[in-house]
Formats: sequence, C-alpha cells, structure tokens
Amino acid sequence: MDQAKRKELLNLMDSKLNNAMRMYLEVCSHCGVCIEACHVYASMPELKYTAVHRAEVIRKLFNRYFKLQGKIWPSLRDSTVLDDEAVNRIYEAAYSCTGCRRCMVYCPFGIDTQMIMSIAKLMLIGADREPKILTMLADMSIQKGKADEATRQNFATAVRNLEAEIIEKWRTAGGDEVVPLDIQDANVLYVALAGKHSIIPAAAIMNAAKEKWSLSYYEAVNFGAFVGNPKKTQEISQRIIDEAIRLRVKEVSVCECGTAFRVLRHQMGKQPFKVTSFVETIARYIREGRIKLDKNKIKGKFTYHDPCQLARNGGVIEEARYIISHLTDDFVELTPNRKYNWCCGGGGGLIAIGEHDFRMKSAKVKAEQVKATNANILATACENCHTQLSELNEHYNLGMNVQFLSSLVADALTE
Amino acid sequence: MIDKIYYFIMVPMVYLAFAVFFLGILVRLIRLMVAPKQTTTLQIFPEKKPAWLYSLADAFFLPTIGKHKPLLWVFLMLYHVAFLLLIIGHLELIWDIKLLQVIPHKIFLGKGLIALTLTICLVFFLFRRFKSPYREISVTEDFFLLILLIFTVLFGGHMNWAYHWSEYGFDLSVTEFREYLSSMVKFKPALPSAITGSPHYIILVLHVLFANLFLIFFPFSKIMHSFFTIPLNKIRRG
Repeated sequence: MDQAKRKELLNLMDSKLNNAMRMYLEVCSHCGVCIEACHVYASMPELKYTAVHRAEVIRKLFNRYFKLQGKIWPSLRDSTVLDDEAVNRIYEAAYSCTGCRRCMVYCPFGIDTQMIMSIAKLMLIGADREPKILTMLADMSIQKGKADEATRQNFATAVRNLEAEIIEKWRTAGGDEVVPLDIQDANVLYVALAGKHSIIPAAAIMNAAKEKWSLSYYEAVNFGAFVGNPKKTQEISQRIIDEAIRLRVKEVSVCECGTAFRVLRHQMGKQPFKVTSFVETIARYIREGRIKLDKNKIKGKFTYHDPCQLARNGGVIEEARYIISHLTDDFVELTPNRKYNWCCGGGGGLIAIGEHDFRMKSAKVKAEQVKATNANILATACENCHTQLSELNEHYNLGMNVQFLSSLVADALTE
Repeated sequence: MIDKIYYFIMVPMVYLAFAVFFLGILVRLIRLMVAPKQTTTLQIFPEKKPAWLYSLADAFFLPTIGKHKPLLWVFLMLYHVAFLLLIIGHLELIWDIKLLQVIPHKIFLGKGLIALTLTICLVFFLFRRFKSPYREISVTEDFFLLILLIFTVLFGGHMNWAYHWSEYGFDLSVTEFREYLSSMVKFKPALPSAITGSPHYIILVLHVLFANLFLIFFPFSKIMHSFFTIPLNKIRRG
C-alpha cells in the first residue's frame, strides 16, 4: 500500500471519529465480557470472531495513527501499521460481524461494535475491497430513485397484476384501488421490498383495516447501510423521505426489513411524518379493532425470532408478541429473547453477499436455540432474518415453517 | 545522590505527576468535547426512563458484568469500593474531614483491610489475564497498569499493615505523613526529618514513585473509563 492510499484510508477513518466513536475506541478495558455475546463465537469459538477482537483491529490502527502513545510506544497497545495485511484483517472483522449489537448489551461501557465496524466498512470502500455486490445493489436503489414516468408506469402495472392475489386474502378494498399509488394526504405510506411477498399481505391487512394508504414506488432495503457508505445510505433513504413529503403522508410504515426500519426511524433525523415498522402498524390495527384475527386459521406451535435491528436496535419488541397473542394461544418464547436474542446470522449484508457456508456455521447456536422450542411455526419480521432462518431450517433440518408475521396475520384475517 | 533521587520522587515528581494528571485529563475531555457530535441515537431497547438514572446505575453497579460474569463482578465491585475508600483515606491523611467521622474511625481508614482487598483484587485481575481467552485479548497496557497498581498498593499497604498488624508497629505515624502532605498541598514542600531519617523511608519513596507513575499514565490510558463510563452508558440508554 502506498503512502497516498494509506493517507486516504486514514482520512476516511478520521471522518468517522465523532465523540461517541472516540470513546468507543479509547475506553475498552479488555475485560472480555463481550466474548460470549457473539453468535459467531458461540458457534465457532475462535478469537477472531469476538467483538473485542473485531474492535481491536480498528483500535490498533486508531492508536497507531491518531494517538501520541501509538507513535512513542506502539507496543503498549499493540498498535499496528495500516498495510495490505491490515486491510485483510479489516475485511474479516467487518464481514464476520452482522452488526447485531448483542455485544453492546454485554459490555459494561456499552461499546458499539457495529459503529466501530462502520469505520472498517468505510475503509474497505476506500481500499476498493468492499463486496461489490453491495455497492452495485446500493447504486441500483439510488438509480431507481431517479425513476422516470415509464418506470413508474411499469411499476404500477406490475402492482396491478398482484390484485387478484390480494383480494384472495381480503376480498374488499379499503379505498378505490387494491394497491393505491400516489395517494395525496394518505395516512400511511407503506414501503415494501422488491417482491410480492412484501406487498400482498400488507395490502390485504391495510385494506381490511380500511386504511387510507399508498404504496411507495421505492423499495425499503438500504444496501448503502449494509456496505457502510453513509452517502449512499442517506441517498437511498432520501428517496422515501422525498416521496412521503410530496404526498404529505402522516406516517411511513416500513415493511418487515430491520435495517430499513432502523435507518429511517433512528438514523435519518426528525421528519415531518412518523416512521413506524409495519409490525407496529398491524398491532395498532388490532388494538383499535380495525382488523380481527381468527386463532383457528393457523394451526401449530408458534415461536418468534426478534430481528436485531427491529427489536434490540429498533425498539419494536412487545408489538410482535401482542400480534401473536391474537394469532394463537400456543406460543413459546425463544431462550434467550428480546434484547438478548441470538442474531440469526444473516445481517450486515451477509445474505446479499452470499457467504452461505459461513452463515450456516456461524449460526449453529441460532439453530439450536430454535430447535429447543419444539415449535413448528417460526415467525419473524425481517427479510434478512426470514431468508437466513429458512436456510438454517433446511441446513439443520429443523422442521420449521418459517413465516413473516405479516403473512400470518393476512392469512388469519376475519370479519 | 540517593537523597536527591528520593527528594525528586517525593517532591518535584509528585507535582509533575499531578500536573500531568489534571492537565492530561482536561486535554482529553476538551478534545472529546470539540469532536463532532453523534447526532443520531445509538441506544439499545427496551428503554427504561429516566435514562440518566439507569446510566448511573450501569456505571456504578456494573449490572451487565453481574449478569454474565458474577465472580468478576464481585472482584470489580470490591476493587472499586476499596479504591474510593483509598482516596478518602489519603484525603484524611491531609486534613481532618469531620463529615467522614460520622462513622468514627482511625486514620488511616480501614486498618489495612483496604490495601489487602485491593491487592487480592489486583492479583485476581492479573491472573485472570493469564487465562485464555483473556490472555489473547490483553495488551501490554493491561499488564503495565496492573503491575503499577500492585506495586503502589503493596508498598502503601506495607506501611499500614506494619502499623496495624505488627507488634513492632511502624515508625512513621499519621502526624509525619500529614506534615509532609499538607506542606505539599500548600506548595511549601517539607520532608520531615522523621520521614527522611526513617529506616523505612525507602518503602514510602517506592509507594510514591509508583503512585506518581500511575498518575502520569492515567490520562493516556484506559483508566479514563472513570470519566467515559457514564456518558457511554447514557448513549446506550438513549
């Protein structure tokens, strides 16, 4: 690595050194309490898969280049030089971490490894070493934000093709259209994913609730966040924010995608509309008596996986349980659950990258946790979690029926 | 020559150590305050209100360690409480603090038990680091700080233990220590001849030497967690 490249990467690191990050990098006492928090370490007990090790990869560079101590006594904190080998270590740290922040719950100081890994991911972009698929997907999302009239017409046509399937789930529409688009002053702007599984149940539920809603032209998923590019993260979110402001909606309800929800709700600052998870929207409809669910429609023993970005990092925890209590009387919690729930192992962009072998091995503890419930319906509320849990189900022969919460609700709708 | 070295450790180096300690901490805190602010929340849910109160509880009672590493928690709590009492004990060596005599006690506080508690805790922390996986995550600084503290506590404790637990006692009493320390506080340093003439002077010198080194190192070390723990826990609590 030449001097110019090193300087460029260190400038990227410098750009992330705000007050919280500086404390995260300076305060660790290497107590090791976080070691057992990581699902990767619990499944594959190697030191490189611990939160403290991952953070140290960045911390040792920080000490070397941003602390006087690293210049006069580098061995004191094992400060390391930024070279190609260090970039390899950065990659391994960043993309073996799902950003679930379970370690943050264990750390006595509350060190946020995901934040520290955001330095790692940004440096990898600078070194042209980030997983290219994530950048490509982020760019595609941004490109869609510049959609012309023809693209919007194509989207509207594709959505109309879903109408029959939606009506099959709930026969009457709330408004004039089964899937309303561009509804000015709508109560809810629903932001889905690029897939009918994310649109059909939601449309059925909102129509059943007689909601004045509108489907967003944009998909919720934020690949900018997965790849750790703050500019692209902002641009991807901004498409939705601009649409919500243009339509003057009261609420943006984000589909079952943990990262999309957390970015929009907690990382984009205050907006002139409320940001909710679709899980919260469903819970509200039940609470207000706007939808009714039939407990006899879905048979089986339920359990629920709290998606990290929705629950521990997003604050949507009890709403899911409230919904499930209207779906079944046969529910068992995963152990541990809520803020201590094990990550599914698919976050942080790992699903999009592929990494099937690593994801299966590193989530062994998750598979064991699910198996121990003896349930047969595994509900969750995040696209990444759903994909990962479905693959774990197959890989470990768990015999589960992995379902989105919204899908279960749509199937249980009754008059 | 050795007298000059001893004098340097007992007087100029003490001032130097405190200057580095206070200025270093100030610089570190100012640098943090002028750094760009974290503008979005980094909190963990579910939240409990008031967040500031829970943050204080997190910082002072270490509940996450209590839940996951109960033995470490016991030693950490003992260590931190003993360290607080140690600071109070040293302040009482300088001045009479009537408020603290609500519970009547002799000076130095604790009759040697504080130093003993600290020693046991520090040895536990040190030996814990020899064990995998803690050995692999430890860096030189972790050992360096523990060794500095162990030496400081052992030499300081030695004087207190000899005074309280030996039938021969210790030839330096609170009176001599107070004379020395209060002269230092008044910036009119005086080393009483009872101290410099004592056969145990070297023990005091070594205690002060390691304490000086610890104070000098403090602002540049992970011990700054004593200032950062509350704000960091507040960030986590939201």
